[in-house]
Amino acid sequence: MKRKIVSLVIVGVSLAYLTWVQGLSGQAPAASPAEESFQSTVLPVLAKNCFVCHNAKLHTANLNLEAFRDSSAAVKQKDVWNKVLDKISSGQMPPRGLPAPSKTEVASVTSWIEGLLGKPTGPTILDGNPGRVTARRLNRIEYKNTVEDLLGIQVKAAEEFPVDDSGYGFDNNGDVLTLSPLLMEKYMSSARKLSQIAVFGETIPSKPTLLALLMPKKGPEAPSTSSSSIILPYSIRGSMYTKLSFPVDAEYEFRVRVLNHRDPFLDYSAPKEQFLSLLDAATHKFFQTREGDAPAPGAQPTGGNGGNGGGTPARVRGPRRPLTPEELQARQEKSRKAYPPVEMALTIDGKKVLSSFIEGDTSYEYDRGAFIVRVPLKAGEHYIRASFPELADVDDPRRNINPDGRRRLYVEFTEVAGPYNPSSAPSESHKKIFICEEKTPACARRIVENLSQLAFRRPVTAAEIDPLAGLVALAQRQGDSFDEGVRLAVQAILISPSFLFRTEIDPKPLAGAAAVAHPVNDYELASRLSYFLWSSMPDSELFRLAKEQKLHDPAVLEGQVRRMLADAKSNALVENFAGQWLGIRNLDRKPPDPNRFPTADDELLDYMHTETNMFVAAMIREDHSILDFIDAPFTYLNGPLAAHYGIEGVKGEQFRRVALNTPQRSGILTQGSILTVSAYPTRTSVVTRGRWVLENLLGTGPPPPPPNVPSLVESDIGASASLRQKMEQHRANPSCAVCHMQMDPIGFGLENYDASGAWRSMDGKFPIDASGTLPDGKSFDGAKGLEGVLRSQSDLFTHNLTEKLLTYALGRGLERFDKPTVDTIAEDVAAHGYKFSALLMDVVNSKPFRMRSGEGER
Amino acid sequence: MMILGKHLERRTFLRGVGTAVALPMLDAMVPAFARAASTKAPCRMGFVYVPNGIIMDQWTPKVEADIGPLPADLPRVSAPLAAFREDLMMLGGLTCNGGRELGDGPGDHGRAGAAYLTATHPKKTSGRDIHTGISVDQIAAQHLGSQTKFASLELGCEDGVQGGNCDNGYSCAYSNSISWRTPSTPNPPEVRPRAIFERLFGNPDDFALDAVHRARQQKYQASILDVVLGEAQRLKSNLSASDGNKIDEYLFAIRDIEARIQRTEKQNATMKMPDVAVPPSSVPDNMADHSKLMFDLLTIAFQTNMTRVMTMLMATEQSTRSYREIGVAEGHHGLTHHQGDKEKIEKVTQINRFHVEQFAYFLGKLKSTPDGDGTLLDHSMIVYGGGLSDGNRHLHENLPTVLAGRGCGTLTPGRWIKYPAETPMANFFVAMLDRMGVPVDHMGDSTGEIGYLANL
Repeated sequence: MKRKIVSLVIVGVSLAYLTWVQGLSGQAPAASPAEESFQSTVLPVLAKNCFVCHNAKLHTANLNLEAFRDSSAAVKQKDVWNKVLDKISSGQMPPRGLPAPSKTEVASVTSWIEGLLGKPTGPTILDGNPGRVTARRLNRIEYKNTVEDLLGIQVKAAEEFPVDDSGYGFDNNGDVLTLSPLLMEKYMSSARKLSQIAVFGETIPSKPTLLALLMPKKGPEAPSTSSSSIILPYSIRGSMYTKLSFPVDAEYEFRVRVLNHRDPFLDYSAPKEQFLSLLDAATHKFFQTREGDAPAPGAQPTGGNGGNGGGTPARVRGPRRPLTPEELQARQEKSRKAYPPVEMALTIDGKKVLSSFIEGDTSYEYDRGAFIVRVPLKAGEHYIRASFPELADVDDPRRNINPDGRRRLYVEFTEVAGPYNPSSAPSESHKKIFICEEKTPACARRIVENLSQLAFRRPVTAAEIDPLAGLVALAQRQGDSFDEGVRLAVQAILISPSFLFRTEIDPKPLAGAAAVAHPVNDYELASRLSYFLWSSMPDSELFRLAKEQKLHDPAVLEGQVRRMLADAKSNALVENFAGQWLGIRNLDRKPPDPNRFPTADDELLDYMHTETNMFVAAMIREDHSILDFIDAPFTYLNGPLAAHYGIEGVKGEQFRRVALNTPQRSGILTQGSILTVSAYPTRTSVVTRGRWVLENLLGTGPPPPPPNVPSLVESDIGASASLRQKMEQHRANPSCAVCHMQMDPIGFGLENYDASGAWRSMDGKFPIDASGTLPDGKSFDGAKGLEGVLRSQSDLFTHNLTEKLLTYALGRGLERFDKPTVDTIAEDVAAHGYKFSALLMDVVNSKPFRMRSGEGER
Repeated sequence: MMILGKHLERRTFLRGVGTAVALPMLDAMVPAFARAASTKAPCRMGFVYVPNGIIMDQWTPKVEADIGPLPADLPRVSAPLAAFREDLMMLGGLTCNGGRELGDGPGDHGRAGAAYLTATHPKKTSGRDIHTGISVDQIAAQHLGSQTKFASLELGCEDGVQGGNCDNGYSCAYSNSISWRTPSTPNPPEVRPRAIFERLFGNPDDFALDAVHRARQQKYQASILDVVLGEAQRLKSNLSASDGNKIDEYLFAIRDIEARIQRTEKQNATMKMPDVAVPPSSVPDNMADHSKLMFDLLTIAFQTNMTRVMTMLMATEQSTRSYREIGVAEGHHGLTHHQGDKEKIEKVTQINRFHVEQFAYFLGKLKSTPDGDGTLLDHSMIVYGGGLSDGNRHLHENLPTVLAGRGCGTLTPGRWIKYPAETPMANFFVAMLDRMGVPVDHMGDSTGEIGYLANL
């Protein structure tokens, strides 16, 4: 950020502060100057702006400022004033929509509080304090990415680390990320396994073995306790998909087994509505049982347990005498023709490696084995998908479900076996580690020096290299190999605090001088940049620029940001920043209730997640206006998701960009992911959706409800009309009204979307009324109208996104002294057409990102 | 997981292990640490936490007197405990005052979880400065921990929520953990049965090593710890105080592990070989299966004296988990704000009972495991309960509390005891600590020690 902020208000304030602090010294206790100045300057502002809610009767947010009409009580409540100061100076109070005090009035209140609290004030503090980020432990994702970049191996261990706590909405907050002995233990066992793989390669079975048994869930609720397999998401379309790690460059065999429950005795030609109503009873029953336990095909939905398997015993067994070969063949042929062939495709990383056709009904070749294919694969993670591409586009995915609840076609399991003909070439990790070949002490030093400076993300000293090299020598003395010694050094590096923590070292102040704000050095800047954009360590180019001390040059820095964004690693920014900003990381935690929303299976939720990720990635990479988040006329869809949204012309499993020319969809708010995370599993909630918009898009989340109000009186309401009435009753209570007048109308604006994000015009028997009136009297109708309202709040939207991105980039909560930075960035972004790149560059160029204050400085 | 009766030869097991670990989750045998033969069975302590309150009129036994024998016909929620009523007490009247508002406004769930075992009032914050007290299990762990491989174990059936603010301004850290090592350091529970298994029994790869190589690996590990300790000290000297605190966390963790390794080496001498099935590496999404695996592991950990102190978080406070396995599709928390709706109350009752059924499984397991001159249940004190009684109204008094086990003969179970209203939960904890041989006069907001746990 280039502009320097010198606020006249702040200078004025500090002068006022000085005057009364000076006055403070020589006064009698009768009425202290603090009390006097409270009576004369603060109380009038409170009375005008705050008492309306924070009074003795309402106690909003459990705060009664009216009690401070007695100024002697006021000066005793430092804790209260601390909170008040935070709320006022961060602009959270008074809430938007209520009359705000003038800047001078705000300043007079804050400076009085600061005087009372003995906080130092003054221009140097408020203008230009970059803040201090606490040493940050790598979180789970950063750990995985860093080790993978450092050693070139796959890291699964991080999934077993405990959940990282979050602060200020993000899980990369230095103050909140703690290190428990439990986690340390996991770091240790992980370091041991990873060093083994990095130095000696993956343990490869001497002959091919079964590496994995992949099974999709059999029903939305089916337990995943099977003790010998990897259980994957449930798909109504019968597909199976997962990422899987492969140990070595080799050929691998995939054996896909498909179940065909297409029943010859069922009439599938019934009209859709009739078929669906037939299903309703069945699905209801089905969702309480496991698929394998479902009655045999042909049995009534309410019938008993007919056992598993493809037979339809009573009817197919036929005549008692043995069939002649001709009769058998005729029957086979009839079975084969009973249903058209459907393709089952196995793809790896999107490339089709196997295509087979499932023919006939359930009795045709039911006992056929698996479809088998052998594929050469590189070591590492690959995306495996076995599915029926045609089923992606059925107008209702329940068309793949029999009235007895079982899917007509589904992938039962896939076995992965191998490796066949494994490559004996040294692994990538081996090349990365052994930068010299000779097994000498000198080479050992070079190896550990190289590796430790990459891992510690800074130059290392002899005092750090010596003990690591000593481990190599130790192993050799014990009779182990040189390589085993290197492995020990790798193991030590992976649990070293310099690796696990991102630390920044203050320059030593001159003797007697106080620590002061300073630019972080180029290595530290490289790490700040790489963990911000990639959630991983710097690459060789960043290290080179750091070594040459060029990175801090603004032109170089900007060039690097652009280069890094173009790299696929910047998907981390989408997944980790946007995923937490928008809250969609929690999408799989609260799936829609399968009884009410049977088409919203695990697979559809994954597609919703993909849609939002691709959309955000496009916003960043194509450098859109950030306001396009609100109402961009495009998104990314595939057939199933388009069908869920009621958008025609998009077929198949592949995602593609889709121009939106329906009034029903545009921008982030109408994406299934957002509509689902902001709903309950069983129904929508106008309050949570309204709150979601205020908190995540405008940064004006409501304060907690006042005490002693039954929390959100929004019990199960089947009908929207009575929901509205209930909410209106609720708002009759003035202390509830302040917030609910803001939240509820926004939520009502999204009522056209059910709890799984599908469009609806009726809620039960009642037509949807998606109109709303905001506290300022502005009326709107539906999502489109709401988007217009949000557009008109571009200032709030920009401020909020700036705060979120800066919080994420810094890994610390924003403080009062960050406000000028946020204001300046928001202004600059607006001046540059709201371009995402302007926001990103302003954050990277901002003082808090490039600098660090001295210890003890505030 | 099962423990089978047969004890296979160590060699038999080792021969098979190469292929066994290559396959995901194939049953394999692992060594366990047999309890060192001691003259007297040690006492164990555990806490099983359930969130969001309980439908109290379906919980509280119908006993007229303040103290009286537990009847066989317990109400619906507590009914699964009836089979063990000679081995447990139900307590009424206990209060966790720290969970109350006390001027901090809403956030009863966030407070309830963090206040429950700490008996303190957590600081309202969603940011960096989380602060509550040291929890009762950790007070015990700090006194007794040196005698076992693990000072304590923290387990759970629901992973923590990510996000800074879980309940009206209370950090998620407060509801994610009930166990607190220090006022600002939660012990987050482990939810993966497989991970607990590996913590208890170690990496299956190590079983394949012979004594020489095993000793060598131990030497290496010690050297590596020396190297990183040196690095930590060097780093700390270059860092400012606030960053240095983070390195202190690191140093504490490393030293804790070092001490554990030393204890383990001692116990290795008496290693025996029970045949234990390795739990699956995926987490069951069905709570009954999940909690069974966890309770099985806890039983083994107690049985083999790997720890004497445990906490088990059945679900986090304000959990929105739905229990479709018993036909409840709605989220738990939402239902508990039933506002008198009969249908919702019924569903909450079913959830409450379901939790108790899982606990009863654990009691059965402890009761059927011989230990010294009795059973594990005889030598345990297991508390079942939560930080809210009425979840609808967020009440922190008269908390539903069960004390199961005979506490090594220091308890007289089989009774209902109703304490005077507002008796601090902490007084009960002090009484438990006393029975564990932990000399503490006071914790949290305790005002003394609770009486009547043993017949006079």
